Amino acid sequence: MEYPRQITTLQTAAVLISTIIGVGVLSLPLFAVRSADAGAPLVTLIGIAIALASLLLLAKLQLRFKRQFFINYSEQIIGKWPARAFGVLVIGFFALLTSFTAREFGEVVITSVLKQTPLEVTVMVMLMLAAISTRNDISTFAYVHHFYLPVLVGPVLLIIALSLKNADVINLLPVWGNKPGGMLTGAITVAGLFQGSFILTTVMPAMRHPDKAVKSIFWAIMIAGGIYLLIVIAVVAVFGNEEVKNLLWPTLELAKTTSLPANILERLDAAFLAVWVTAVFTTLFATYYLTAHALSRLLGLKDHRLFSSALLPFVFVMAMLPQNIMQMYQIIQVVLRYGLLLTIGYPLLLLIVAVIRKKKGNDHEKPMEPSS
Amino acid sequence: MTLLVPLVTGCWDRLEIEERAVVLGIGIDVPEAGTFEENQVTHRSDIPLKKSKRVHLTAQIAVPGRIPLGPGEGGGGGGGGGMQTVWVVEADGHTIEDAMNNMQQRVSSPLFFGHLRVIVISEEYARRGVQNLNDYFHRNPEVRRMNWLLVSKNSARELMKVSPKLERVPSLYLMTSLDQAVKMGKLPNLFLGYFWSSVAAKGREGTLPYVELQESGTLEIRGLALFRGDQMVGATLPIEILSYLGIEGVNQGGGLVFSQVPDVEDEEVIFSNSSRHSKIKVKIKNGIPHATIRVYMEGNLMEKSSDRFRLNSKMILSIEKQLQENAKKGYVRLLQKTQKYGSDIFGFGEYVRAFEPRYWNREIRTSENWQKMYRKMTFDIFVDINIRRIGMKGR
Repeated sequence: MEYPRQITTLQTAAVLISTIIGVGVLSLPLFAVRSADAGAPLVTLIGIAIALASLLLLAKLQLRFKRQFFINYSEQIIGKWPARAFGVLVIGFFALLTSFTAREFGEVVITSVLKQTPLEVTVMVMLMLAAISTRNDISTFAYVHHFYLPVLVGPVLLIIALSLKNADVINLLPVWGNKPGGMLTGAITVAGLFQGSFILTTVMPAMRHPDKAVKSIFWAIMIAGGIYLLIVIAVVAVFGNEEVKNLLWPTLELAKTTSLPANILERLDAAFLAVWVTAVFTTLFATYYLTAHALSRLLGLKDHRLFSSALLPFVFVMAMLPQNIMQMYQIIQVVLRYGLLLTIGYPLLLLIVAVIRKKKGNDHEKPMEPSS
Repeated sequence: MTLLVPLVTGCWDRLEIEERAVVLGIGIDVPEAGTFEENQVTHRSDIPLKKSKRVHLTAQIAVPGRIPLGPGEGGGGGGGGGMQTVWVVEADGHTIEDAMNNMQQRVSSPLFFGHLRVIVISEEYARRGVQNLNDYFHRNPEVRRMNWLLVSKNSARELMKVSPKLERVPSLYLMTSLDQAVKMGKLPNLFLGYFWSSVAAKGREGTLPYVELQESGTLEIRGLALFRGDQMVGATLPIEILSYLGIEGVNQGGGLVFSQVPDVEDEEVIFSNSSRHSKIKVKIKNGIPHATIRVYMEGNLMEKSSDRFRLNSKMILSIEKQLQENAKKGYVRLLQKTQKYGSDIFGFGEYVRAFEPRYWNREIRTSENWQKMYRKMTFDIFVDINIRRIGMKGR
């Protein structure tokens, strides 16, 4: 049994896009505005550039070891034990990312819609959904993402377009903001929101033509990054940067301010939340899948299904750790920033060492045992 | 499948529509001296709370089943006029949430703000500052940003109690009168969210519609309430709303103005504006921001006071000139008034921040500094008015 090589370029792009667009879109404008006022769109753009660079780096590394998973080829590059240690860190990071995605989702839902529902229930339902879906193989995984993509992108673009009715260009000037000092921190946080795209390491080995991954990356960043940028532009143009600082979830507030023409719907926040739930699910699905898959490969198991349920209690407990919403966002920002060391720094290290040691995977070599 | 998730968990939050107390309008006053009711609901009376923050709340709550669903159902079943569509409830509190809680003690069903349309505050409350109000309504996820926030010359309580003839739901009447004024180009669209953005912005101050309840129970728009920070500091005249619209260049033309007729004694014409457009440029001159405002307007002649004079194209041109002069005078006086209060409702400061960021970062930075600098600002105003049509009369 070989690694199923049936994932198309389009599907790879779809996986990346729907993974990137996730829980973070709600607070993204707040992070960006906090660091650079009216320069928020520029900060976002820099963040997107960092994310693009990191993805290209991953693709370059992966192309050297076409059909292998990074947990396995990293052992060839830097030796068995250091690679395993790093592997554990990466797995831990994505487990943490999954937890906090679920937790942030729960907080939003409880604050804005289902006020009486216990937090544990919303978080658990979402995590169980991800856990059950993770029992599928990589092609089903790609299909699910592909299927949800239009549902995600369409309504978000519609809401942005309609909201621009109240926009004022003056809020976007000057483009570099009024205190350019904090720009880098902001850009790093924004880049942190793209980290789900590490899922590329799982998808690429299963691609029909891995060489075309670069093409999918460009498309994915163009669409997902474009949406990020548009959201920030719309939010800042409509509210003005000082007001954005008053809003915990500016994007949700934007949907609340936007109405469909002719009084069909007077506020779009309910519609937006419905789309957003889907977006959160696809992100959660991807990070959960990545965690389970990487863990099974680390332990040399063939099948990651065991971990889909075994991981659940750990992820759930971690999601329950933050004591309140302020603390949660504090932790999330720290985790996102330091996570970049693992999702950009580690692959960079691997690539450099691989180039120096001239390590390369062999296509004719028998590929590693498939996962599913 | 994911879309079903909220439905599954929704059992906790199931609340039938008739089990909610749907709040349509809220009025906020400063309680009159001696009438404050101390309810020991959120606190015991031994906690020291400042008297200066007390509020009196009046809410219009929809009575289930009494609200007609459309204009077509008028008077059906002999209901209509006699039956009250809303229930007016009042409560006191130390903050808005406290007062809401006291109100909740009196209303059986949970208060629901998803359909809130109008928030009225009394002038006294507005002058005291609206930070508490901004905080409360920002925090509440049910409240929409498209609500109207009004400053009332009378107490907000009176405004909540009017029962107008045109609409069966009083709050909707308030809302419709303002919405229509916006559509007719007589009022800028100063909805709640815009007010919040202006209050938060460093280079702009908030402004709200300023209304008065007439003896007959009708609502009259008296001008714009000027804010500095979160406090109301003054109000404009009704005609100055048009000046505001002109400077801002709100292209929903509307509003009528008198103009003298040059060379004809004691006769006037009325000009009706149909479209507006303005350009604002801000430069720094001698260390002080200087704005050049160009206003372009088009409109029609609606009326002349007698047949003693005839209209011809030459006369129209001279009337245009007169109108331009009048408009310019009006703009200058409005600008002076706002400068006197340090209330930059036009957002010139935002222009400085956007186009002269270096100057802004060096000299201004905070909204307090801008309030001071705005008083010193200088202006150049150019007005261009064209009368295009004169109606269906030949001369």
